Amino acid sequence: MAILEVCGLKKSFGKTAVLKGINFTLEKGEVLVILGSSGGGKTTLLRCLNFLEIPEEGVIKVGGKVIFDAGNSAVLSESEIRKNRLNFGLVFQSFNLFPQYNVLKNVTLAPSLLKKGTDQEITQNAKQLLSKVGLSNKEESYPCELSGGQQQRVAIARALALNPAILCFDEPTSALDPELTGEVLKVIKSLKNSDMTMIIVTHEIEFAKNIADKIIFVDNGVILEEGDATVIDAPKNERLKNFLASFS
Amino acid sequence: MSDFFEQFPTVFSALNVGFLQTLKLFAVTLLGAIPLGLIVSFGSMSRFKILSGATRTVVWIIRGSPLMIQLMIIYYFPGLILHNPIWGSGEDGRFLAAAIAFIINYACYFSEIYRGGVQSVPRGQNEAGLVLGLSKRQIFFKVTLLQMIKRIVPPMSNEIITLVKDTSLSRIIALQELIWAGESFMKGSRGLSGLIWPLFFTGIYYLAFSALLTALFNYTEKKLSYFKI
Amino acid sequence: MKKITSLFLSLIMIATIFCACGDKKDQTDLEYIKEKGTLVVGITDFAPMDYQDKDGKWIGFDADLAKAFGEYLGVDVEFSLITWSNKIMELDGRTIDCAWNGMTLSSDVLAAMECSNAYCKNAQVVIVPADKADQYQTAESCKDLKFAVEAGSAGRDVAKENGFKYIEVIDQATALQEVAAGTSDAAIVDWLMAGAMIGEGTGYANLTYTVELNDEEYGVGFRKGSNLAGELNKFLKQSYDDGTLMNIAQKYNIADHIIAQ
Repeated sequence: MAILEVCGLKKSFGKTAVLKGINFTLEKGEVLVILGSSGGGKTTLLRCLNFLEIPEEGVIKVGGKVIFDAGNSAVLSESEIRKNRLNFGLVFQSFNLFPQYNVLKNVTLAPSLLKKGTDQEITQNAKQLLSKVGLSNKEESYPCELSGGQQQRVAIARALALNPAILCFDEPTSALDPELTGEVLKVIKSLKNSDMTMIIVTHEIEFAKNIADKIIFVDNGVILEEGDATVIDAPKNERLKNFLASFS
Repeated sequence: MSDFFEQFPTVFSALNVGFLQTLKLFAVTLLGAIPLGLIVSFGSMSRFKILSGATRTVVWIIRGSPLMIQLMIIYYFPGLILHNPIWGSGEDGRFLAAAIAFIINYACYFSEIYRGGVQSVPRGQNEAGLVLGLSKRQIFFKVTLLQMIKRIVPPMSNEIITLVKDTSLSRIIALQELIWAGESFMKGSRGLSGLIWPLFFTGIYYLAFSALLTALFNYTEKKLSYFKI
Repeated sequence: MKKITSLFLSLIMIATIFCACGDKKDQTDLEYIKEKGTLVVGITDFAPMDYQDKDGKWIGFDADLAKAFGEYLGVDVEFSLITWSNKIMELDGRTIDCAWNGMTLSSDVLAAMECSNAYCKNAQVVIVPADKADQYQTAESCKDLKFAVEAGSAGRDVAKENGFKYIEVIDQATALQEVAAGTSDAAIVDWLMAGAMIGEGTGYANLTYTVELNDEEYGVGFRKGSNLAGELNKFLKQSYDDGTLMNIAQKYNIADHIIAQ
C-alpha cells in the first residue's frame, strides 16, 4: 500500500490558480523528485503537504489514513493540523535555523517541547542524528558560526528528530555556494540508503537522475509528465524537453 | 569660591529633590509605556482594518505633535474646556498629568519600535516552528521573542535615553523636576537667589544618569551578541 | 462598525462624566473657596515676594500676606508653583484660585483677570554690566542697546513704549542671564526682583541697575468676575489699619514700597 496518496489537490492565491488538480502516490522508501520551472507550483505543493498552505480542494492520505480532506471540516481544526503535519518534515531552501540556539538545541527544541521522550533520550537521539550528518563536532556552535552547507545539514537533523514518515526538501541547495552543495547532497543520498521516504524539489538535474525512484514534472499547476529516473534522458513532453535543455 | 562651598549643601539637597521627581517621572513612564506600547502595537498590526487604522491615526497624532502641547492639553483641558479640574492644583496632580502625557507619548513611540521588531523576524522562523509541530504560543515565546528583543534593544535604548532628558519638558505645567529646581536659585529659593551655577550643574545629573543607562544597554546588547539575526 | 459605535459612545460617556460634576453656575468664587476649604495661590520662585526657606517652606512678603488672607477667610492656603506665563489658564482651569506673586497691574493683566487694589509700588529698571553703568543713566542713552525682556511682562511693555529694540525671553531670570552672558546689552526687570538677584553675593555680581523707566504697582489677580478681589481689598484695608501689613513688609525690607490702603 502507498504511504502517500494525493488526490485532486487545488490551491489558488486570489484569482491565480497555482495548483489545478495534483494526483500522485508514493511508496514507502521511495524518493520522489519534483521538477519544474519557478512559479510552476512545486514549492506550493510541498507547502500544502506541510499545511503551510491549506488547499481548497483535494484529499491527502498517509498510510491509508485521511489526514486532509478539504470537504471534511473535522480534519481542518488547528489542533488536528498540528498533529497531522508531523507526518511530514520540511527542509527549507533558506535553512531557517533558530539563531539564538546552538546546534544541539536546534535539534532538541521541538522534541522536548512536544515531549517526545525524556531529556536524555532526546539529547541522545539528537547527537546520533548530528553524527549522521557529520556535525558531531559542532554541537555547541551557533548557526551564525556555520557555513551554509553545515546549516542545511543541521536543518536536516532537526527535521529528522521528529521522526517524520516523509521528509520534504524545498530546493535544499539553491541558497548554497556551488562548492557546498556536495556535502548536503551526500547527506540526502545517505538517507536514501537508510530507506527514508523523501520528496525533493530541486534544480540539480544530475542529482535528481541519480537519486529519484520517481519523477514528476509540474508546470502551470498540473503534472505534465510522470515516470522513473529515465524521463530525464528521454522526456516525452515538449515543455519538459525545453526545461531540461535550459540546464545543459 | 567660599560662597560656593557655603551654598553647595543647600543647592545639592534641593537638586536631589528635583532629581528624585525626574527619576520618578522616568520610572513611571517606563512602567506604563512599555506594556501600553505592546497593546498599541498589537492594535496597529491588527487584521481588523478599523482598529489598525484608528490606532495608527492616534500614533500619528501623538508622534506628530510636540510633547509640550500634549502636556498642556492633558493638564489644562479638563478645567478649561470641561470645567472640571480633575488634576487638582498640588504637585501630585501635576505629576499625575505629566505621567499620563509621557506614558501615552512614549507608548506610541515604543509601539512603532515593537512593530518594527515583530515584522523584522523572518517569516521562515515562524514556518520552521510550524512544521516542527509547535503551537503559536510556543513559537512566540521559544523562537521569535528573543529575536525581537535583540532587534529592539538599540532603538529602545535611544528612546529611553531621550526620555531622561524629555522629562524636563514637564516644567511647562510646573512640575518641579531637576531643571526647575536648578532654575529656582536664580529667582530665589531656600534663602539663596541670583545663582546661575545650579542650573548648569543639573547637566551633571543628566550626564551621570545617561551614562549609567548607556552602560546598562551596552551590557544587554553584549549579552545578546552571541547570535546573529 | 459596532466597534466604532461603542468607542464613540464611551467617549461621549467620559465627556459627560467630566461635565456632569463641572461648574455650579450660581456659586460665587468665595462660596467655591469656602466649600473646598482651600485657597490655592499660584506663585513662582521670586524673592523677596515668594521663596522657600531652608526647610522648603514658602515665605516672602506675598506668601506671608496670602497666609494672613487665608486666615481672614477661614480657609487653608496652598501654594502652587506655576509656569507664570500660564497663569490665566491656571485660573480659568481652576488649578489655582489667584495669581499672587509680585504681579504688575498692567492693562493686559487688568483685562484678563479680576484684580485687587494695588498694595505695593514697583518700577521697571534697566540692568547693565556694572562697568558700563555710567553711560546709561537716562532712558535716552539706552536707545541703541539691545534689550532682553520677559515675554508678556511689564518690562516688555515699557521697552515698547520707549521704542527700544528688544527680544522676549522666557522669564526675568533668563533676561538677566542674557546680559551676564553678553548675548543682550541690557535687560528690563522688576526693581524688586533686581534688588534680590543682582549685585554683591549673587551670581550676577557684575550687573547693576540704572534708570527707573516707570512707576508701577503690584496687585493680586483672580478669575474674571470673582468676588474674591473685593474680599482681598477689605482684608488689605483692615490689615493696613491694624499694622499687620507693615509688619510683614518690614520683615522683608520693602516697607518703603507699601501703598497706603
